[in-house]
Amino acid sequence: MSESPVFLPVRRLAGLVRSRAVSPVALAETFLDRLETLGPTYNAVVTVTRERAMAQARRAEQEIAAGRYRGPLHGIPYGAKDLLATSGGIPTTWGAAPLREQRFDFDATVIRKLEEAGAVLCAKLAMVELAGGMGYRQPHASFTGPGINPWNPGAWSGGSSSGSGSAVAAGLVPFAIGSETWGSILSPAGFCGIAGLRPSYGRVSRHGAMALCWTLDKLGPLCLAAEDCGLVLEAIAGTDPADPTTADRPWSYEGADVAGRRFRFGVIKGVAIGCEEAVRANFERSLETLRAIGTVEEVELPELPWEAITRTILHVEAASAFEDFIESGKIAELTAPEDHYTPYARDAILAKDYVKALRLRGVMAREADRVLSRFDALVGPGRAAVAPGLEQEFRSAIRGSVPDLMGAIGNGAGLPAVCVPNGFSDRGLPTSLQFMGRVYEENAVLAAARAWQSLTDWHRQHPAVDQPA
Amino acid sequence: MPAEAEPDTDIEVERRFALVRERYGDRLTPAQLDEVRTGVQGIVQTARALRAVRLENSDEPMQPFMPYRADP
Repeated sequence: MSESPVFLPVRRLAGLVRSRAVSPVALAETFLDRLETLGPTYNAVVTVTRERAMAQARRAEQEIAAGRYRGPLHGIPYGAKDLLATSGGIPTTWGAAPLREQRFDFDATVIRKLEEAGAVLCAKLAMVELAGGMGYRQPHASFTGPGINPWNPGAWSGGSSSGSGSAVAAGLVPFAIGSETWGSILSPAGFCGIAGLRPSYGRVSRHGAMALCWTLDKLGPLCLAAEDCGLVLEAIAGTDPADPTTADRPWSYEGADVAGRRFRFGVIKGVAIGCEEAVRANFERSLETLRAIGTVEEVELPELPWEAITRTILHVEAASAFEDFIESGKIAELTAPEDHYTPYARDAILAKDYVKALRLRGVMAREADRVLSRFDALVGPGRAAVAPGLEQEFRSAIRGSVPDLMGAIGNGAGLPAVCVPNGFSDRGLPTSLQFMGRVYEENAVLAAARAWQSLTDWHRQHPAVDQPA
Repeated sequence: MPAEAEPDTDIEVERRFALVRERYGDRLTPAQLDEVRTGVQGIVQTARALRAVRLENSDEPMQPFMPYRADP
């Protein structure tokens, strides 16, 4: 094969693997080498899983040679956020210094499903400690160092799925798995200029994943393009007896050609208020482009404390999930200084207020569905700002210092969203666009994002990354 | 004699903060305690936003409970 496999989307790599133009073993070696040589440049990797990867790649090669092709992920390398349990002595650190030797004797369901699809696990990827649940507010919040953005080494890669974002953007893996409780897939996807899909709550089993918030946590793919997110989601979606919150709704990816399809887009009134100028300007330009493929209608939401609802649920569940860790004082061993004390304040949340948030969550879900039922997707900026500097304290919707209406509603109501690049700031950092749909309508938001990417080439632009530090 | 409350003191914040300080104060520096107080202020503001919304008696928590019985 003369063409480099780096920065080729999964669909294209799959064609090459299936036709045996490229060998899964050679593919694994290429990406393992990149993870080992370039991974440290971006603080993207916790563990390179070379032994497991080569065994999986050799098996894929043999199976494909024997005519037993499993599907589009067969022989394709990937990385997993380091909160997914992996067997075989591979550490699963949750990004936290006190847990750097933690190991499990089983594979998370997502890891198992990807193995069944023939994908090749090449690395456990860096993340913000405990998925950011302790309240971090600057990038130095992982024992592997701050996630570094492939577009600018002075900028953060986002979080909490920091390595999943930077590894895909830097061409260290063709796709990665991340998790989102509030923003942890969309943030690294947006900051790194790639596609990130937050599936509906319950679409993907969390068995074997670190629990931060039981009713908010979702697992999903980060890829070079929206198309690839559909291919990966199909492999990992599905009900799982080990995770009773999984929805008994089979899902398959409808990757049909979107040429000529017309969409109905909604835009929440004022959704770009408070965004950085580059984000706002690129969003306005994006709406003009979207009018070429559908209608764009402004919608108003009723007055509700959307962010307060989701924030209260998040704070309470995270405080409970890590009760022992917090009360024992173990949080003092975490990397971010603010993680040493921030969670203590959550003891001040009253049970009655938490239950009020749960009652309001029902109102939120019904109102969101009422609005979304009229559209294929609501569109908005993927992030309110471009990636902050490595030494910069950032604003956070979880702390209440920046509005994130779509994030609050999308995560609070468990709605799917896909984030794709839509331009750059004058500092050369990506801005992004998100499409959010009704629950279980991943195909609708992916179709909208594919249509967007058929009109634009932001997703075909990649940072210059081939110089190790 | 107790100190007179500052005019802008928020009693609810102070009462809730006192609970947190009682539980964890011995492991925190004064600067960290100030940060925790700021966190409690945010929590109280968030709670007030939730309480400001009137709900119907029939608005249940969106948190399904399922009774459990082991087979058989």
